[in-house]
Amino acid sequence: MNTTRRMFLKSGAIALVSSGLAPASGPVWLRDTVYAAEPNRSSSAANGRKILICIFQRGAVDGMSMVVPHGDPNYYVHRSLAAGGIAIPRSGEGGVIDLDGTFGLHPALSSLKSIWDDGHLAAIHACGSPSPTRSHFDAQDYMESGAPGNKHVRDGWLSRAILACPEDTAKLKAQVRATALAAQRTSRAADKVAASINASPFRSVSLTTQLPRIMQGTAEALAIPDLRTFGVKDSAAASVVAGAMGGHRKVTSSGATKGFEALYDQAVGDVLHGAGKESFEAMKMIEGLKPGTYVPARGARYPRGKLGESLQQIAQLIKAGVGVEVAFAETGGWDTHAAQGSAQGSLARRLQEFGDAIKALYVDLGDRMADVTILTMSEFGRTVRQNGTGGTDHGHATCFFTIGDKVNGGKVLGEWPGLAPEQLYENRDLAVTTDFRDVFAEVAQKHLGVRDLQAVFPGYDTGSTKFRNVIKST
Amino acid sequence: MAQPQFRLVSSCAPITLGVCLSLNFAIAASAAPAVPLQGDAKIIHALNRVAFGPRPGDVERVRQMGLGSWLEAQLNPATLDDSAVEAKVARLKSLQLPVDHLMLTYEADSNGALRMFLQAQQRSEREGAQDGATAMDAATTRRNARNRNALGRNTLNSNAITESDGDEKRTVREKLRLEKELALAARYNAANLKPQQILLLKRIEAKGVTPGTSVQAVGELVNDKIVRATESNRQLQEVLVDFWSNHFNLDVKKGLVRTMKIADERDVIRPHVLGKFRDLLGASAKSPAMLFYLDNFRSTREFTAPTTVRRPKAAARKRGGVNENYARELMELHTMGVDGGYTQKDVQEVARCLTGWSFNREDGRFQFRPFAHDNGEKTVLGQKIPTGGGQKDGERVLDILATHSATAKHIATKLCKRFIADEPPSAAVERAAQTFLKSDGDLREVVRSIVYGPEFFSSSAYRAKIKSPLEFAVSAVRVLGGQVEVPNPQQNFGRLRLVGDGSASTAQGGGRNNRPNVRKSLAQQIALMGQPLYAYQAPTGWPEDSREWVSSGALIARLNYTLALVGGEVAMVTVSPTELLQDVPAEDREAILNRLFHRLLGNDASAGTRATMLKQITPGTPTDAKKLTALTLGSPEFQRR
Repeated sequence: MNTTRRMFLKSGAIALVSSGLAPASGPVWLRDTVYAAEPNRSSSAANGRKILICIFQRGAVDGMSMVVPHGDPNYYVHRSLAAGGIAIPRSGEGGVIDLDGTFGLHPALSSLKSIWDDGHLAAIHACGSPSPTRSHFDAQDYMESGAPGNKHVRDGWLSRAILACPEDTAKLKAQVRATALAAQRTSRAADKVAASINASPFRSVSLTTQLPRIMQGTAEALAIPDLRTFGVKDSAAASVVAGAMGGHRKVTSSGATKGFEALYDQAVGDVLHGAGKESFEAMKMIEGLKPGTYVPARGARYPRGKLGESLQQIAQLIKAGVGVEVAFAETGGWDTHAAQGSAQGSLARRLQEFGDAIKALYVDLGDRMADVTILTMSEFGRTVRQNGTGGTDHGHATCFFTIGDKVNGGKVLGEWPGLAPEQLYENRDLAVTTDFRDVFAEVAQKHLGVRDLQAVFPGYDTGSTKFRNVIKST
Repeated sequence: MAQPQFRLVSSCAPITLGVCLSLNFAIAASAAPAVPLQGDAKIIHALNRVAFGPRPGDVERVRQMGLGSWLEAQLNPATLDDSAVEAKVARLKSLQLPVDHLMLTYEADSNGALRMFLQAQQRSEREGAQDGATAMDAATTRRNARNRNALGRNTLNSNAITESDGDEKRTVREKLRLEKELALAARYNAANLKPQQILLLKRIEAKGVTPGTSVQAVGELVNDKIVRATESNRQLQEVLVDFWSNHFNLDVKKGLVRTMKIADERDVIRPHVLGKFRDLLGASAKSPAMLFYLDNFRSTREFTAPTTVRRPKAAARKRGGVNENYARELMELHTMGVDGGYTQKDVQEVARCLTGWSFNREDGRFQFRPFAHDNGEKTVLGQKIPTGGGQKDGERVLDILATHSATAKHIATKLCKRFIADEPPSAAVERAAQTFLKSDGDLREVVRSIVYGPEFFSSSAYRAKIKSPLEFAVSAVRVLGGQVEVPNPQQNFGRLRLVGDGSASTAQGGGRNNRPNVRKSLAQQIALMGQPLYAYQAPTGWPEDSREWVSSGALIARLNYTLALVGGEVAMVTVSPTELLQDVPAEDREAILNRLFHRLLGNDASAGTRATMLKQITPGTPTDAKKLTALTLGSPEFQRR
């Protein structure tokens, strides 16, 4: 953390002082960071800033294999325990990890059990989209736009959520809008500028190559495929450092990098000047974190693979106190049409990585989980019956997880629609009893502090009466 | 950006928001009076807008032939020889496939079970060819077949039918064929294939479609775009193909758009970019990729399914129904614009008119389905469309939309945004819209009215647009006089990957695409800068407001691209940046800068950029041409066009 502190004392606080401004009137993210660097303050709790980490299971996960309804006798009617069957037994070897007598975790998710026991993990079962689509493309689009069935919402709900919460933004926006109107600019341009002025470049960050749909919109968001390679890679000056950096090219502040920085620094009056300033600050910030040498706290062990890496880097950014408010990671391989296996097999392997990665993040963040909520989602579920190739096809409802100290945990929330043939959706799928927007909206409101839910979920009359009580009311 | 950016004077004063001073989005910039561009600035401006930036020698060439003649030639691309680039892209074989073949190429990869079967088959064939034991098996099979043939002959003989030798051979062949089919049926059975999958499989095999090629086809499409943008002489045509392909946006990540976008680009967009808008609109409305992407292919009148023995309960259910998706985007995005003055009722009526507009999944062509069409009377924008019109209802809708004044305004605004400025002068928009209406939607005339207008050759338009990632990447290769190679067909483009059921997603971090030491292609670089080509999810396409491209992560990607490009680390691109400064003495720093700025920035670096660059040259050391070139290409000036 020392590097961070130094860096910001130098480029943050001192810069603020030298421009004759107290930190209190500077950008909020910088202000927080300066405060955060003070030893006696918990960085993420500097102003009670909440953090939401979203994990998207792309490909439609079989929710009934994540949280197994072993107490519903129809489960074993639809899914076979015989060899080649995909059912998870109630007990014995490879059996479920019972949660409440009705539901049990898949044995590969065993690492989540202790979070459940802490009372910090809740599952929301039979959760999904009101849209009947079984297209991955459309269903992911809807879950990310937050407007199922409506193809005319252009931005993502996380982008709207982040604009809809903190009051600092509102104030600044009004200020900028006034200036902008005076200069006869569009309010949209003003919104964009207001959002970027106030925000830490890390406020909304996605550990992906492309910015996901869920974060696209007016609020600035940063897509970083990998912290270790983020930055200007000057091929002429850089050397490949093997070993500690895992074979990644070292990011160097070489001549070219400094040259670029100087070029953008002098380009005052150009919209690119601001982007340049932010970019180089973010770069130095990350460089200072030495992401290649990160050691997780409390012996947390992230599994190998992209998801573990992403979550570890999110933890690192959060601990560095750089102003993360919303983080996004994704994981694939859930589209198990064939040979998904039961207690072991291809789905079990995916679940093992998934559970282990979340557990590592939870352990690594430790006390900071007081301000963090982790939310998992997937575009739809899978058929209740297994198909001819030992897999499951595109279905309807699935299961989401929420994890955090403030989560109303140790419970399977929602309403179980049952698995009798007449209870199934279109005679094949688990029915949706919780609209995913009710979960998102509750997290947005109770955790992020969003007041105007209508602005985040257009055309949807959500509200506390529909909430599933995912977050404890304080 | 209304002020002349080429001066880049510090003009950020009136923003009083504390530290955010630094952000400077120039909202408060003083409105300097626009003056007409003169001399070479005019030529450079035209090359930056009508083309993807200048190539070495272009300015001199245009000066010599006259800007007017050059523009005229660009407006009439058929008069320009483009055989070199055509020969180059001719190696991209997927782009020449007929539509039915393109459709099958997708089908072969789209169905999980089918794909697994085809891959297993490919594997066993490969192994069969190499494996000696299998070869022996094959020999045994042949021997057995011969024995059976003998048996067959005896049987036939015993039937006392005298056959000629030829007939016998035919019988033998027939038997072999039957055996083969039986074996195949057994394999289909083992793989749990459904009857329709088997039919599909037979068509795939009959056409000789290789499984796994649909992703490569997308790569070829992307490559085609990049090669043409970089090297085609018909630059305006390529700029317009980019514009209209974006206007009628499709996303290759969605189902069969993956291969059918190839047909859309080739048969819908490209032939019509300088033609009549109505023809372009009509072609797009019948494009299977568009019909699929915006769901119109499944839009039908409501009807009740006939009773079947197997599904007695399902009989009562209403089947089908209108899908408004395409109708709405047709009005909102493709023609009238969101404020064009239509109502929700109009959208519904247009959707009804277009029911039954679908495509044939086998031959990959547009198909009107009379039984799915709502033949009732409709009213669209106040105009009655009488009952019983069939397919003509949709044509009538397209006629109404294509000639509507709101459409003229919307198209004119968008084109002016692309060619003039993010907030184009209303006089230019008005003139373009009038031209649209007077010329019956002649797109050549509309573009002509824009690029000959005073607003186009104005200081307020000069460098007023931030380049899109495509424009940035391509203009950098062009200004260095670089070439883009067309890869061999085995080249894996790595832009799309298939997920379990065969739907595609763009390669996300963590995979090969993200490994820092792997040379990235131009397409991958462009994607890293935020523009994965042909893969924009929403039907709006990329925004024409170029300020949307400004973001921190993307800027870093742009800087990395310039370093990779001059360092020879962009796969399949050759540039030679060292030649640029070869004959300039290393001690003459001013001369080095003059050469760089002349060749790369059209002599148009700000004083600040010049001063900063000067410090990058260490006196008494050999010229670091690569670094200086990368810095110049990464400068704020080169981000603009």
